[in-house]
Amino acid sequence: MSARSQEKSLLREVWDALSFSEIRTAMRVVLKHMFVKPVTFQYPREKRTIPDAHRGALGLLRYDDGAERCVGCDLCEAACPSRCIKVVSAENPDRPLSRVATEFYIDITKCVFCGYCVEACPVNALAMTKMYEYSTADKRELIFDKKKLYEVGEQHIEDAKRYLYAHNQEKNDADSRDYRYKFPHQVAALTPPHDS
Amino acid sequence: MALKPVTSPDVEAPAIELTIDGQPVQAKGGVSLYDVISQTGKIIPAMCYHYTFDPFGSCGMCLVMVEGKKAPVRSCTAKAEAGMVVRCEGDDLFAARKKAVEKHLTIHPLDCPVCDADGHCELQDTAFQHGVTNLVNAKPKGLPEDRRSLVLDFNMNRCILCGECINICKDVQMVDALQFFKKEGTTHVVAKGDKGLTCEFCGDCLAVCPVGAITNKYSKYVYKPWQLKKTTSTCAYCADGCQMHIETSGKGVQRVTSPLSWKNKWGDRAETAKGHGGLCVRGRFGFQYIDSAERLGGPLVRTDEGLVSKSWFEAMDVVAGRLKAIKARYGPDAIAGLITARCTNEELYLFQKLMRAAIGTAHVDSSARYGHLNFTRALQQAAGIGRMMNGYEQITKANVLLLIGTDITETNPIAGLRVKEALRVYGAQVLVAASRMTNIAKLATHPLPIAAGSEGWVIKALVKAVVEEDLVEEAAVAAAPEAFAALKQAVAGLSWELLAARTGLSREAAVEAARLYAEAPRAVILCAEGVTRQADGYANVLNLVDLAWVTGKLAKPGCGVNALPEEANEQGAVDMGVAPELLPGQAPYADEAARARFASAWNVTLPAGPGASLMEMLERCRRGEIKALYLVGENPLATLPESTGVREALEKVELLISQDPFLTETGRLAHVVLPACTFAEKDGTFTNLEGKVNRVRPALDSYAEAHPDWEIFAALGTTLGYPMEYDGPQAVQREIMKLLPGYYNLGEAKPLTANPDAYLRNGYVREVAARYAAGAAIAKADRPFALTVGQVLYHSGKLSTRASGLVQLAPSKGRLQMNAADLARLQVGANDAVRVTSAKATVELRTEPNPDLAPGTCFFPEHYNEPPVKDLAECVTDPTTGVPTFKFVRVAIEKI
Amino acid sequence: MTHPFEDQRTTVYKVDPEHPETLALPTLRTEEMMLNMGPQHPSTHGVLKVVLALEGERIVKAIPVMGFLHRGVEKLAEDGTYHQFIPHTDRLDYICAMYNNFAYCRAVEKLLDMKIPPRAEYLRTIVAEVQRIIGHLFWLGTQALDIGAMTVFFYTFRDREILLDFFDELCGARLTTSWYRIGGVERDFTPDLVEKLRRFADYFPPKIDEYVTFLETNRIWLSRTKGVAVISAEDAINFGLSGPTLRGSGVDYDLRKFEPYAAYGECEWSVPVGKNGDTYDRYWVRIEEMRESLKMVKQLLEKIPEGPVMAYVPSVTLPPKDKVFNDLASMIQQFKLFSQGFQAPKGEIYCGTEAAKGELGFYIVSNGEGKPYRLKIRAPSFIHMGAFDYMARGYMIADIVTIFGTYDIVMGECDR
Repeated sequence: MSARSQEKSLLREVWDALSFSEIRTAMRVVLKHMFVKPVTFQYPREKRTIPDAHRGALGLLRYDDGAERCVGCDLCEAACPSRCIKVVSAENPDRPLSRVATEFYIDITKCVFCGYCVEACPVNALAMTKMYEYSTADKRELIFDKKKLYEVGEQHIEDAKRYLYAHNQEKNDADSRDYRYKFPHQVAALTPPHDS
Repeated sequence: MALKPVTSPDVEAPAIELTIDGQPVQAKGGVSLYDVISQTGKIIPAMCYHYTFDPFGSCGMCLVMVEGKKAPVRSCTAKAEAGMVVRCEGDDLFAARKKAVEKHLTIHPLDCPVCDADGHCELQDTAFQHGVTNLVNAKPKGLPEDRRSLVLDFNMNRCILCGECINICKDVQMVDALQFFKKEGTTHVVAKGDKGLTCEFCGDCLAVCPVGAITNKYSKYVYKPWQLKKTTSTCAYCADGCQMHIETSGKGVQRVTSPLSWKNKWGDRAETAKGHGGLCVRGRFGFQYIDSAERLGGPLVRTDEGLVSKSWFEAMDVVAGRLKAIKARYGPDAIAGLITARCTNEELYLFQKLMRAAIGTAHVDSSARYGHLNFTRALQQAAGIGRMMNGYEQITKANVLLLIGTDITETNPIAGLRVKEALRVYGAQVLVAASRMTNIAKLATHPLPIAAGSEGWVIKALVKAVVEEDLVEEAAVAAAPEAFAALKQAVAGLSWELLAARTGLSREAAVEAARLYAEAPRAVILCAEGVTRQADGYANVLNLVDLAWVTGKLAKPGCGVNALPEEANEQGAVDMGVAPELLPGQAPYADEAARARFASAWNVTLPAGPGASLMEMLERCRRGEIKALYLVGENPLATLPESTGVREALEKVELLISQDPFLTETGRLAHVVLPACTFAEKDGTFTNLEGKVNRVRPALDSYAEAHPDWEIFAALGTTLGYPMEYDGPQAVQREIMKLLPGYYNLGEAKPLTANPDAYLRNGYVREVAARYAAGAAIAKADRPFALTVGQVLYHSGKLSTRASGLVQLAPSKGRLQMNAADLARLQVGANDAVRVTSAKATVELRTEPNPDLAPGTCFFPEHYNEPPVKDLAECVTDPTTGVPTFKFVRVAIEKI
Repeated sequence: MTHPFEDQRTTVYKVDPEHPETLALPTLRTEEMMLNMGPQHPSTHGVLKVVLALEGERIVKAIPVMGFLHRGVEKLAEDGTYHQFIPHTDRLDYICAMYNNFAYCRAVEKLLDMKIPPRAEYLRTIVAEVQRIIGHLFWLGTQALDIGAMTVFFYTFRDREILLDFFDELCGARLTTSWYRIGGVERDFTPDLVEKLRRFADYFPPKIDEYVTFLETNRIWLSRTKGVAVISAEDAINFGLSGPTLRGSGVDYDLRKFEPYAAYGECEWSVPVGKNGDTYDRYWVRIEEMRESLKMVKQLLEKIPEGPVMAYVPSVTLPPKDKVFNDLASMIQQFKLFSQGFQAPKGEIYCGTEAAKGELGFYIVSNGEGKPYRLKIRAPSFIHMGAFDYMARGYMIADIVTIFGTYDIVMGECDR
């Protein structure tokens, strides 16, 4: 209640007016700041340190042996609140009986960067990166397709991993090195189609 | 049968009372306790239960506490008894059920991300509901996937051994193609004999599978339920009018599902008398033609360089301009139109309106001409009814079913299920008169093997047996004594020796069959192409009416005479008056008053008629009287035998318009080809064989530049100067409703009562003798084999040959099916070349043994023209109805 | 529907036939003038349009016209699962996204009758109060800027930046946070984050004094805020005002105090209440609230209990990710929750939360399915606009900027 209830005497008021006390008080603060390091920085030359948890552009990840993690389960599409993901899946032509996403699109112009898709992914195939500079003159480039998403994932693999660790999606320890999600593939004894 | 008594009109289960969760509940005795509980609205999870078959009790989920018992009991296999006190809620029961799910989950693989059932999985739902969170000692089975079968894959890792697939196959389909099989210490569900499936591929096992153990090869791994848009529509293949869910994604149709599924498992067994909600192989797996790459993308117009792609504007300009010119020069009678009965009611109505009102010609016909008109016209003539007399429920609840000349499980599989249910659940006597050992004949209580093509004679034999063995109902014949006397006299002219020789049916067998039929309180006759698409089809149906009449089964509830139409909307085509002799509502075209009514409604003067029917039309084309032929979805070149001169007729016309989703053989001859939509892109209605009007809903946008047929008709009519502007099919519907009040009544079709009095009094006496005339004997010596060209389960007309899924099941093999004994006699093996010669043509074919065929008969599927077996036939046109028949021919076969 | 000023737009000046010369005479026109302010006016903080009827420089009538930022958020809620709506709430009051998350999650938790682990409650409270400081800093800077005192803006934004970076580190986004979850929070504090907050708590109080120095020695700012947009306590209650706007009028009402939720009952703090109900008093309330918030943060940081940050209700909350990889039950849970959502019990619920701007309430009607049947947002900014005309009448046109600013209005929340 201090500053508020002060009633100034007339003399005080006259003195303040004559001595420009308001300007003095304000300038004192301002001048003090002349000796403080500026908090701003020169953006394109200097860049912020982005925290590990940062939710930037999405990328698709591979296992350490190069196999695609994504199995095309489409849960990210179901989880997405802005409906910006589209997955087209099919049977993997190279590995019968395994499912694969043949097409994968993220319309990054629609994406709200909530990270739900990463949370949803049952194989941690998606991760968010620290990538935020992807402005372009052509809007079509902002619909990230499967190729682009894997590129993002490869370029920012370290960031992506740190993101997963930061958000408790994956553990950064020896046990979970073996995180590779193994589907019980039933390819062991593939019987030929019945001839009729 | 023990736990599911059904209510038939003959047996009523006793009423009992029991207490469920403190509430007194009334129920029928002998019912499964689970059913009683589910009727009170309480839902107890059960993964192996489905109301269409008897409880199996394998999942162990439906546990309830019954007073006096220490442990929880499985309510599905327990019988409801009077005075039972049941508790179905409580923490102990929840825990017990949770334990049961956990048991299933511990051996289930971590397949959710890749499983097709994910999101539509009962195991998922149940596990989630019971809050299962942690599984100890999970041990998936790790079995290889069984991919031996066509269409379906079996993944036994995901199987919970609920047995629903086996039960529905055995109980509902009566195919019994699946079984439990123990190998390597695990129980599997495999096709009988641990081989690939050789069944009807109805896919009901897929529909009821609560997990992803059975998957569809055609849509494997390509969808998740939340990606799909579900549209409920009516199947466009046969006339059963099955409801189906077309599930589409951006890429097109991904799969077709049925109302039958594990999701709606609660119901009263008695409800299945109207249908169990399943689909057949065509409906479920034959959807690929809808977005096939072969579809016509835009209109084609014939120029000097052949058929050239043009814009709609140009194509319509050509069509309208040339139609106008022909009309101006030769008069409206030089224009004729033919439409397929796979169009919706609204389109059929608009088409006949276009031809009659806008163009002013009386020549309009539909593909119902190929057979169904024989039935509707005969029945209209005899009993004043223009459609099947019995619906599904009456078929199911009949005491005796007489099937003549129909391979019902192949042509109308879902109607066939009603016969199967009548057999198994209601204990009906089923008499099947067929020349082949058809699937239904194998199941029938009384299979009557007859000579090929002798269906008409079998009917006569039955009538004779009824009349001579005094199986007639006095009341029925007393109403028209002269007619009965004439009939008696007519059948007396036929000798049993002659009938036995022609039908292969002894007098005793005929009398036995006639007795069964005549003495049953509810007897239903089902016939199909074997009767209606034979020479004398019209007379055959009238003879069937005689049989029903003299036994008093014509006007009796629950009895009747029925013919199964082949195409989806044949009944609608007849009802919409797409025939030269009919107006909408089946009013006779010759009736001045009726014509005047439509003329004033359409604000035109209708042509006097009589118009030409299909064969007459082609004849007039050949004679040069018809100059323009408008074909909608019809492909006469591939349907009619060459000997009818169909090619000549089509080549002769000045303007041939083919409007079709595909470029057909006829389309290649056409001057203008207009791309039309398939049923999956249209709004409208189909009238099924029961006379029920079913809604067709658009599941997809029109393919490329194709347009729904009604839009094309409306645009063409307007261009020709007759305003036909409609906002949509609903506007057409409103017009039909105004003209035919009550046609679109929702739900069941109106019950009909036969009234044969007028028919029996007027003229019956005069014409009956001709129908029972002995006729000339057929010379068999030089052409000893009877060849039937007919439908197979996997196809419907030519349309299904565009569906890759069905083609995979039944490809064009070009093989003539013959009995093994005949093959041995001819000294040919399987897949050997033979030469088949008829009076009209000679075709070289390969052979294939088929044990179901009787010696002396052979069979060829009608769906493929490679090689052109249809050309062997001699086309006989029915004198009354103008129905062309070409499905049956006598041939000689020799080894090459 | 006619426009409220239809009659004035079509005013016809009639010539008196008796005295046609009156037209020729130069007269002083005294009719009301209609002025459209916004939606493209910098002081409207978004896209608010106000139709002002002026008599000279005096405001006779001020009708706010809203809906320029309407995105159908309430309808969107009906289309997704309960969980999927959280990112949408970020975009209501986008200055204080955390508090919207908080209010929404509280409403759903009330619907589900869920209990939140104590650690999560503490974290929620701390972050909510940090968010309140951000909200007030933003308000302070922009309000002063609107009136012409530019310097404060830079200082408040400098300090807000520190907290936004804290959010970035906490949840990965500075504004659209989506950190709260139904049943807890998405991610725990790291020791580093706790340390940062402690440092901020020491750093910040002198800064508040700095802002106060700037403004309260500024005679112009004082004269433009004191006695402007006055509303009596009774009127404020009748208009349904809440938050600092209400407390500035001397009504001692704060949901945090009267229905202590989360960890608000676990710490010492007081509710600052104004006297005169003018803009200056509201400013003062907000300044004091920042101090109180800081006090709360300081206290709570010392007492954060150990434990999980998410409730464990298998049918509602997500399973831990590492279990999803190996355990079928958890995987089923993951798939069911993301593809179909949890099924809330049938019923309807209202839950109000004291956000920086006032009482932010969510009203949810559930029909037992995985999605809300209807979701209504009681947005304080919208309710406050109801009192706008009443509070603006009689002031000079130059004061309209102060009156806008007095509510701390955010159009994202107002239009929804």
